[in-house]
Amino acid sequence: MANEPCVSVNGVHKFFRRGSERVDVLNGLTLSVPEGEFLGLMGPSGSGKTTLLNLIAGLDKPSEGEVWVRGEKISAKSEGGLADWRTRSIGFIFQFYHLLPVLTAYRNVEIPLLLLPLNAKQRREQVMTALEVVGLADRIKHRPGQLSGGQQQRVGIARAIVTDPSLIVADEPTGDLDAASAGEILDLLCELKASLNKTIIMVTHDPRAASRADRVLHLDKGQLVADTPALSETA
Amino acid sequence: MKFLRIVVENVLRNPLRTLLTTLGTMVLVFVVTMVWSVLSFLDEQTAEKNANLKAIVTERWQLPSQMPYSYAASLREGAAREADDIRPTDSMTWSFFGGSLDPESRTRESSLFAFALQPEKLMTMMDELDALPLSQAAELEIAVEKMAGNRQGIILGRDRLAAINKQIGDRFTLYGFNYEDINLELEVVGVFPPGRYDNSAAINVEYLNAAMDAYPQTHAGQKHPLADKSLNLVWLRVPNTQAYSQVAEQISNSPSYASPAVKVETASSGVATFLEAYRDLVWGMRWLLAPAILITLSLVISNAISISVRERQKEFAVLKVLGFKPFQILSLVIGESLLIGATAGLLSAGATWGLINHVMGGFTFPIAFFGIFYIPDASLWWGLAVGGGAALLGSCVPAWTACRVRVSEVFARVA
Repeated sequence: MANEPCVSVNGVHKFFRRGSERVDVLNGLTLSVPEGEFLGLMGPSGSGKTTLLNLIAGLDKPSEGEVWVRGEKISAKSEGGLADWRTRSIGFIFQFYHLLPVLTAYRNVEIPLLLLPLNAKQRREQVMTALEVVGLADRIKHRPGQLSGGQQQRVGIARAIVTDPSLIVADEPTGDLDAASAGEILDLLCELKASLNKTIIMVTHDPRAASRADRVLHLDKGQLVADTPALSETA
Repeated sequence: MKFLRIVVENVLRNPLRTLLTTLGTMVLVFVVTMVWSVLSFLDEQTAEKNANLKAIVTERWQLPSQMPYSYAASLREGAAREADDIRPTDSMTWSFFGGSLDPESRTRESSLFAFALQPEKLMTMMDELDALPLSQAAELEIAVEKMAGNRQGIILGRDRLAAINKQIGDRFTLYGFNYEDINLELEVVGVFPPGRYDNSAAINVEYLNAAMDAYPQTHAGQKHPLADKSLNLVWLRVPNTQAYSQVAEQISNSPSYASPAVKVETASSGVATFLEAYRDLVWGMRWLLAPAILITLSLVISNAISISVRERQKEFAVLKVLGFKPFQILSLVIGESLLIGATAGLLSAGATWGLINHVMGGFTFPIAFFGIFYIPDASLWWGLAVGGGAALLGSCVPAWTACRVRVSEVFARVA
């Protein structure tokens, strides 16, 4: 069990239908991500990065092949089963934060906990812990419109970790931030990996963001074309 | 309950849209409440009862019913002749006297239509007057005693009293128009309690009968043309349907009522016959107007919720990413709709009830002889049901759309 990878993608194909046309997005992709690794995924637009991320996060199912996460074959789960699994096992960080604008920072972070059998006191403890980790415990009553981009992404990260998932997937988490805020977010992700042993898979176009990862995979036309250690190591 | 906060916050996210939807719902529920108040009252009046029935005896082959007053005594006994025949527990005769305070003209302000009856029967046989609150009953009883002691007394409804510009104690002459050349000298001895009889009037039948008996003395010995036609209707109270059937049979089989022949029916059946003339109007209200309003209400709410759902496609996708199942998202959307619809419906029905019943004292809808209608207490749950039901119906499609959002497609568009 100690050596079992956190994520295992075996021979995955994914295609979409556009009318009568079939569009192949992933072609026989195979990869594994060990526990506690910070993995970067890079590639040109249309290379299949986000599709791969969606498959690993249980948001979509492969046309062929298998996806395993922490010993569970998620490609075989039902829609309801995947929803339950996502609540407990995955934290998702979006490029554009996607916080609910009508809820405060506290309530936004609390949302995933509403799906678990926790009472209000237990939910409060977990929410405050998550907000303290991201350094926003003093902003709980603020709505997204009252927060900066960097602060909104921190709330997004708090929401992603509030259920203590072992795997965090991030789709361009710094794509909408200035350099300073992006650096803070990447610092936070590295901290989550180092202190809480989270496995992080991050899609990015930004070489500076990719340089913070332990390993970077390059995709092109739905296939892995390069598997490199962190760019900072090769610099 | 955990999701209630999310529902409430989403309802309040666009206050203007929520307010307009709420107001639209309230207006439509108001109209439905008014329509159903009229229909439910008419249904109540025409519903057959099982106990404490009232039977009506009228002329069989003619409208208006005109029977000789000699029928009254035996009809009050239910035409009972044998020892084991059933006798009604109470009875009342009606003769209708219409007249004008002005012998030269007949206007709304000068006209008066009165029931000529036995004064004591006002408290025991008239609908709603037999079940008044204590203070109103005491007041009416005093007026009834005055009318019994003074056979020229008249009791009027408040609106009618105001229309003819009289008050208690005033005297006036009522010049008959259906009883031509019969003029009654009347004294106002009381008013009906507010409500159903606001435009009614009641006089002592003994006075009318005495005037009819005196007519030949001033008209060359000729009887009045209505001398043998002055009894228009007889009310009989019977304890149950079995007693009613037996009394009806006794009257129908009696040889005493051959010319003119009479018929017996329940009060509700009699009212239904009277309402026959309004059948199309009532049908239209029940099956066209009310359903049209309910459909419109559903569309109003559906429109508002659809716009809200379209604006929040990404939010629903995010909720799915976070683990919300489709039925949970469906429940959130329906919950928002129900909150608006049910709240607006309840507020509207409550406001209608208070405004119509306690501020306006009822609303006028002239149908048959029912002049004023009230909003029943049941309207409060009507409002809740109509608002909530329309909201549920109107939110089905938008809620289904919301719960079928495909996460990967929404974020592909974003990327």
